[in-house]
Amino acid sequence: MRRGVISLGLLVLVVMAALVVPPLLPWSYDAIDWDAVRAPPLSPGHPLGTDSVGRDLLARTMMGARVTLAVAAAAAAVSLLIGVAWGAVAGWCGGRIDEAMMRVVDALYALPFMFVVILLMVLFGRSILLVFLGIGAVEWLTMARVVRGQVLALRERPFVTAAEAAGAGAGRIIVGHILPNLAGVVIAYLLLTIPQVVMVESFLSFLGLGVQEPLTSLGILVKEGADDMDVAPHALLLPGGLLVLILVCLTIAGERLRDRFAA
Amino acid sequence: MRTLLLRRLATALPTMAAVIVLSFILMRLAPGGPFDGERALDPATQAALTRAYGLDLPLHQQIGRYVARLAEGDFGPSLVYRDFTVTDLVAQGLPISLSLGALALGVALVLGVATGLWAASSAGRWTDEALMLGMTLLTAIPSFVTGPLLALVFGLMIGWLPISGWGGGDPAHLTLPVIALALPVAGAIAKLTRAGLATALEQDHVRTARARGLAPATVLLRHALRPALVPVASYLGPAAAGLLTGAVVIETVFALPGLGRYFVQGALNRDYPLVLAVVTLYAGLIILFNLAADLIYGWLDPRIRG
Repeated sequence: MRRGVISLGLLVLVVMAALVVPPLLPWSYDAIDWDAVRAPPLSPGHPLGTDSVGRDLLARTMMGARVTLAVAAAAAAVSLLIGVAWGAVAGWCGGRIDEAMMRVVDALYALPFMFVVILLMVLFGRSILLVFLGIGAVEWLTMARVVRGQVLALRERPFVTAAEAAGAGAGRIIVGHILPNLAGVVIAYLLLTIPQVVMVESFLSFLGLGVQEPLTSLGILVKEGADDMDVAPHALLLPGGLLVLILVCLTIAGERLRDRFAA
Repeated sequence: MRTLLLRRLATALPTMAAVIVLSFILMRLAPGGPFDGERALDPATQAALTRAYGLDLPLHQQIGRYVARLAEGDFGPSLVYRDFTVTDLVAQGLPISLSLGALALGVALVLGVATGLWAASSAGRWTDEALMLGMTLLTAIPSFVTGPLLALVFGLMIGWLPISGWGGGDPAHLTLPVIALALPVAGAIAKLTRAGLATALEQDHVRTARARGLAPATVLLRHALRPALVPVASYLGPAAAGLLTGAVVIETVFALPGLGRYFVQGALNRDYPLVLAVVTLYAGLIILFNLAADLIYGWLDPRIRG
C-alpha cells in the first residue's frame, strides 16, 4: 500500500502546483520574452528556461499540466456517467436487455478507439469541449463491464429483496441501494480510466488534433519539445517527465486500489 | 471450436457494417468541407465539384455507392493528395505500417513473455518486484514520449542510429521506431504473463509435475507456461489496436511514410475519403485480429472450445 500512498501524494502535489504556480509567475504561458529566446534552464527570470519563441517553460509546463488534468477530469466524468448508467441498467434488467447491451460493449471493444476519437475531432471541429466529450464517449466500456458484474451480484442480496418487498421502484433501488455499494470499485476503475484519458488527450494534442494553440497541454509541449530537442533537450524532458509522472502515479494508485477492492 | 468461431463472426460482421455506415454518416454530418479554401470558389465550380464527387445525391444513395466501391477495393480519390487515389496511398503506406506493427508485436511478445518468466521464476525476491515496477513504468509511458527520447539519446547524443525516414526498409532505420512502439505492449504482456504464471503454478498438474521431481525450469516452461499464456492471447486483440494506433504517432515522430502519417495529414486537412478508408480498414484489421486471437485462445485452453 505504501507505493499507492506515495503515488497519490505526488499526484496531489502536481495538482496543487498546476493550480497555484501559474498565477504566481511574472510570465503568462503565452507571453513572449524577446530578450530570452531559447534560454537554458536556470536563466535569470526563467528558472526552467524558455522555448524556441521565448515563452517561459515553467509557466507553459504548469499551464499544460492544468489543461491536461482538467480535460482528463472532465472526460473521466463523462465516461463515469455513461459507464455506470449503462452497466447498472444492463445488470439490473438482466436477460435479453443485458445480453444486447453487453454485445454492444463487446463490439465497441473491438474498435480502434483512437481512430474513432480522431474521426469525431475531424468531423466536429477541434474544440476542447469535443476533446473530452469524445474521449469520454469511448472510454466507458470497462467501467460498464465492471459495474454490470457488481450489480448482477448485488441484485441477489437480501437488502435489495427487502427494498423490493417494501415497494421501492427500480430507479430508487439502483440509486439508493446499489450505487452506494459500488463506490469502492467505481473509484478504483475511475482512477485507472484517468491515465487512459490523459494518454488519449496528449496523443491527440501531440498530433495537432486535440487541444489547440494558443491554449497548451502536455501533449502539445512534448511535440514542441520533440521538434526542438536537438538544440534544447530540456524542452522535451520537462513536460515529458511531468506527463510520465502523472501517468505512472495514476496507474500505480489505481492498480493498488483495484487489487484491494477486487479481493 | 466452430461454434465459438461462428458466435464471434456473428458479432464481427454487424460491427463492421455498423462501422462503415456510422463513420460515413458522421462524415456527412460534419460542418465544413474539403473545398472550403482560403479563397471562395465561384458557384459553378462549387456545383461541378459537388456533382463530380456525388455529394448532391441523397444520403442513402451515397452510402450505397460507397459500399459498392468499397467492395471493389476502391476508396475514391484523395482530396488532399490530388494526384493519388486513396487506394494508391493505402497500397503505399499500409505495408510499411503493417511491417512496423508486426515487428513491434514480435519484439513485445519475446520481451514481455521472457520478462514475465524471469519475474515468476524469482517470485517474492526483489528482482520480481523491480521487474514488475519497471513493466508498470513501461505501460504507463506513452510511445510519443519514448520515441523522441530514444531518438534524442541513440540518434542525436550517441549517434548510433538514424532517426528519420524509412531508408528503403533498412533495419537500422527501423530499430528505434520498432522499440518505441513495442515497449508499452511488452510491459502489458509481461504483467499478464507474470499474473498468469502465478495462477498456473498453483494448479494441480503443476504440483504433480513438481512432485515427480522435474527441474523448476522444466515445470515452468513445459507445464505452467501454456495455461499462463491464455490471458496474453486474449490481450492480442487490444494489443493490435494499440500497435496500429501507436504506429500513427511513431510514423510521425520518425518521419516514416506509413499509412498512419497519411491518416494524420488527412485528419488535419479533412480529407474525408482518406480518413474513412483508414478507419474502415483498421477496424476491419482489428476485428480480424480479434478473431485470430480467439482461435489461439481456444488452442491454448481446450476447455473453452465448446
